[in-house]
Amino acid sequence: MIRLNNIVATYTTTRGEVSAVDGVNLEIPTGKIIGIAGESGCGKSTLLKVIYGDLIYPLALKTGSVQYGFDSFGQEVTTSDIKEYWFKRISYIPQSSMSSLNPVIRINKQFTDHLDPSTDKAKVLEDVRAYVQKLDLPPEAIDAYPHQLSGGMRQRIMVAMGTFFNPDIILADEPTTALDVVVQKGILLLLMGLQEETKSTIFFVSHDMGVHYQITHKMLIMYAAKVVEFGDSDIIFTEPLHPYTRMLIESLPTIGDDHLRTGVSGRPPSLWEDLTGCRFAPRCPLATELCQTTEPEFKEYRRGHFAACHYAENTYQSSEIAILYDHHPQNQSPE
Amino acid sequence: MALFQYIVGRFVSYFVVLFIGLTITFFLPRLMPSDPIEQYIFELQSQAGQTMSPDEMANLRETLSQIYGLDGSLVSQYLGYLERVILHFDFGPSFASFPAPVIGFIVRALPWTLGLLVTTTLIAWTIGNLIGLRAGYHHNSRAATVMEVVGVALYPIPYYIVALVLIMVFGYLLSIFPLTTTIRPGPLTFAKMRVILYNSVLPALSIIVVGLGWNILSMKALSFAHKEEGYVTFARLKGTPSRTIMNSYVGRNSLLPQITGLTLSLGAIFSGALLIEILFSYPGMGLLMRTAASSGDYNMLYGTILVTIFAVATATLVLDLIYPVFDPRIRYR
Repeated sequence: MIRLNNIVATYTTTRGEVSAVDGVNLEIPTGKIIGIAGESGCGKSTLLKVIYGDLIYPLALKTGSVQYGFDSFGQEVTTSDIKEYWFKRISYIPQSSMSSLNPVIRINKQFTDHLDPSTDKAKVLEDVRAYVQKLDLPPEAIDAYPHQLSGGMRQRIMVAMGTFFNPDIILADEPTTALDVVVQKGILLLLMGLQEETKSTIFFVSHDMGVHYQITHKMLIMYAAKVVEFGDSDIIFTEPLHPYTRMLIESLPTIGDDHLRTGVSGRPPSLWEDLTGCRFAPRCPLATELCQTTEPEFKEYRRGHFAACHYAENTYQSSEIAILYDHHPQNQSPE
Repeated sequence: MALFQYIVGRFVSYFVVLFIGLTITFFLPRLMPSDPIEQYIFELQSQAGQTMSPDEMANLRETLSQIYGLDGSLVSQYLGYLERVILHFDFGPSFASFPAPVIGFIVRALPWTLGLLVTTTLIAWTIGNLIGLRAGYHHNSRAATVMEVVGVALYPIPYYIVALVLIMVFGYLLSIFPLTTTIRPGPLTFAKMRVILYNSVLPALSIIVVGLGWNILSMKALSFAHKEEGYVTFARLKGTPSRTIMNSYVGRNSLLPQITGLTLSLGAIFSGALLIEILFSYPGMGLLMRTAASSGDYNMLYGTILVTIFAVATATLVLDLIYPVFDPRIRYR
């Protein structure tokens, strides 16, 4: 179990501090692919940084900590000492493989330069050569310079780097965004296969709900620095509890359905404002007086399925939401 | 095969550049209104204070034309010039110290300039880059700010001002180092080496100080920019030690433009040291050029210019040949 204990992460700016992750309290089961979804600026990447322990100025962990669910010398590893386990027990797959590899150094050197100086690097590289073949890469690929490989091969190299040391936790920040769909599919299948084999926990950030649907076991939906829903992906995609989640899913096209996709109109609130009540209320077709004034509690409604909505228990049909949505004052066309 | 083609291509363009340089150096003086032979005869007459008979005059003209390579048609002069310069490195006799050949002066001056400038340029480059890399990589530290201020303060000062200040302080006021270079001819012994070093300290220092400022500033700016690259962030997230990131990631990438800069400054050392050599009476190429220019010693001037062209072209050739070692993205094409 990975525990996120009341995490508040702030960025220091010239205007003051702003909380990009504001009070996240969660227990995440290990051995699953956890999808993190939400609009730009909702705090997905910040949450990822906090989990990775990459807290450098201007980002700081105001309160809270992460417990990683593994011990070292009998002590549970938390945020304060996770750095020592980077690329040993927790690893990271960046978004852009082109800019994440040093252009003037061979890949094999970049594969091993973070290892302890006492390690037998030649031996490690022998294993790496065998390992990359499993990832559909020629073993010579690791002796190349980054520019000599194609975009897809480079991203496979990044996956290989992130998974070779067999970490417990892998963080992937939109690892397929820069790739074309065919290559994207290959990388996603590769990640799924590796996870299946090693039973590691993958945090997968993307704003592509289609990709989340394909590969995740659990979904974590974020909105304006808060987690609004967390649960099993198959449940979330069929019976979401939070209207925001529902609207995100509604925006996905399905084959044979040719009616116009509405999307979620409006914009998330500025985190600089004084936010009272439910942060989604201004855009929510179901919002009432209560939502404007009181912040909903993030709680478990069904087994393993959490949400932060006053009306999570009301089971609206999507058609009803659509009607409510059309009558929402914000969406009325000005006449 | 591609490598072979690349090298052949570089050499071809190298020789083309040299050839064009040779040709311009040949034609340029011939486009000038003054005639070196007439000038020489005029000087001779005014020194001797008596006139020559027309016969003697014609004789002298012919002899001088032959010696200077100015007889015959322009084409035969040109071919003769190419043959002398390319095959025999013969730039003709010096006018000022007739009939000593120019090449002898150049051969004597060259080690001084090369020794002084190659050493100082390399020292300034190495130290400047080491400091600049640290200043850019740890840009928040106090030491980095101090180093940058040093760089900003040193860089805009012309090196001859630095040289003058050094002469004033260390040569005149403190009398630690000599005001001008005085080295007696003789075999190169250990004692003579010490004398040379002692005499070279001030000229070397003035070049190093100024070169240092520029190298610190440019390396600092480059490493500060490369520090923000995705691969540096990723290396940090991998847990790569900070030293490795600084050297192999930030330093290695920032070095590429600096290598270009080094090669170009090595090519420009002959003209670069002109004033330093004059100020310290350092017996190198700069002093030779200046003496040649002031005494109207054309052959000497062209000889030194040709050597300069040769040096710049060679430095560029060397850069072209070694650059792929530093930047693997350059293909031999």
